[in-house]
Amino acid sequence: MVSLRAAQSQLLTSWAGILFLLGKIVRFLLFFIFLFTVLDSVKTLAGYNREQVILFFLVFNLVDVSVQFLFRGVYQFRPLVVSGNYDLDLLKPLPSFFRPLFGWTDILDFITLIPLWIYFLWFGFSNQLFNPGNFFLFLILFASSLILAFAFHLFICGVCVLTTEIDHLIWVYRDLTNMAKFPTDIYQRGIQLILTFTIPVVILITVPAKALMGILSWQGIIGSSLISGLFLFFSLKFWGYVLCRYTSASS
Amino acid sequence: MRKYFQLAKITFEEYLTYRLNFVLWRFRSLISFLTLFFFWLAIYSNRNEFLGYQKAQMLAYVVGIAILRSIVLGSRSVDLGGQIRSGELTRLILWPVSMFTFWFSRDLIDKILNILFTVIELGAVLIIFKFPFYFPQKPETYFSFGLLVVLSLFLYFFLSFVISVTAFWTEEVWATRWLFGTIFLEFFSGAFFPIDVLPSWLQKIIYLTPFPYLVFFPLKIWLEQISGIMAIRAIFICSIWLVFFYWLAKILWQKGAKNYGAYGG
Repeated sequence: MVSLRAAQSQLLTSWAGILFLLGKIVRFLLFFIFLFTVLDSVKTLAGYNREQVILFFLVFNLVDVSVQFLFRGVYQFRPLVVSGNYDLDLLKPLPSFFRPLFGWTDILDFITLIPLWIYFLWFGFSNQLFNPGNFFLFLILFASSLILAFAFHLFICGVCVLTTEIDHLIWVYRDLTNMAKFPTDIYQRGIQLILTFTIPVVILITVPAKALMGILSWQGIIGSSLISGLFLFFSLKFWGYVLCRYTSASS
Repeated sequence: MRKYFQLAKITFEEYLTYRLNFVLWRFRSLISFLTLFFFWLAIYSNRNEFLGYQKAQMLAYVVGIAILRSIVLGSRSVDLGGQIRSGELTRLILWPVSMFTFWFSRDLIDKILNILFTVIELGAVLIIFKFPFYFPQKPETYFSFGLLVVLSLFLYFFLSFVISVTAFWTEEVWATRWLFGTIFLEFFSGAFFPIDVLPSWLQKIIYLTPFPYLVFFPLKIWLEQISGIMAIRAIFICSIWLVFFYWLAKILWQKGAKNYGAYGG
């Protein structure tokens, strides 16, 4: 119901919707053309061929757009906390994290997801970049990425309850995930460790992409699943902690 | 003049009040820089020249992007659109200040603070990675570069102002700004990668817009990859765009101010 209302609202303001949709498509296409042109000349990047690098880019987009589609509510959580209106949501028979995370579903992201999935599948299978077995493993790790993204967004909402700061934190997350547009092997070891254990961009995007290409070890699969589980556990604990400290100051 | 100095001072104090916001903003800028930096380092890992750029030139281009983002694209006038929609503009137009100078004073402080931190951050990165930064050989290059940067600074200000004042007629100013002031601006200005690595058909389209004069051409001048005649041509075309956007901003502001209903106020 919440999603439906958000979708109706976005489609009703059609001019803005068209501009946002156009922007998303233009951004994707321009980056795609850039990557294609560059990789056409260099042939490999960090040991990956052109098709593999593009697959990394496509997986980045799939994860990123899916996360934006599902958890856009985070961007609208701060006014709820500042105004104290979040009280009303706490009274509803829903999980306390429902409104902060799922309170706004971006239908424009959903519209871009459909052609993106179609192109991704066509690109992967036609270039024989993955087989059905690897694709199945990818789907499991993709779901694990969404759980990890859920945990991270919930953590940011928790920080928002404590400090009312959210905008820059969520954009720091977005900028860090942007680092995984390219294979994260291009970064130095220290940066890779930060991207694995602090804001686990590697697990979010690089691990599913590598699983798809069949180059992920079983240790990688178990390790990434463990980190996702730990993030979820600590995020839920942290959320419980901050809810006890929610003061409803402005209401 | 003193009142604009006071405005600049207030803007500076705002930054000091919301220090965490500023720190996180600088951190974000650093992440964007590092992403591009490592991407190009990986491209040049087994070659010294790529699509007409030496390794030092390309890395200088990436550093240049970060610096010009601070000097040219650093801005507070983006807030104007929101103030028009919220009605907060009413308070401002009652003040004895010119709107253009008001916003430019705020922009200036934003630019000064950002450039200060950018130089420190990039200096640290360059020292850590010990890579050779490209400095122009000819003295006149510094003059052409400086002149074009000043022109592009004003060009961006008026361009951004034009986008903001569309808020007088539409509620969708954020969508307009996102498309033209973020997506087109960042890709077409060369703020992600040099435009001349793109296919020639796309370059021709991009050169018809004002965006390449904001980042790409100043950096091409710095890298001494265009001739003196081409540099003069770039400065001339940038000046034409500047006059056009100055005129457009004036006209739109006058028409918009008459149209202003202060609905949110």
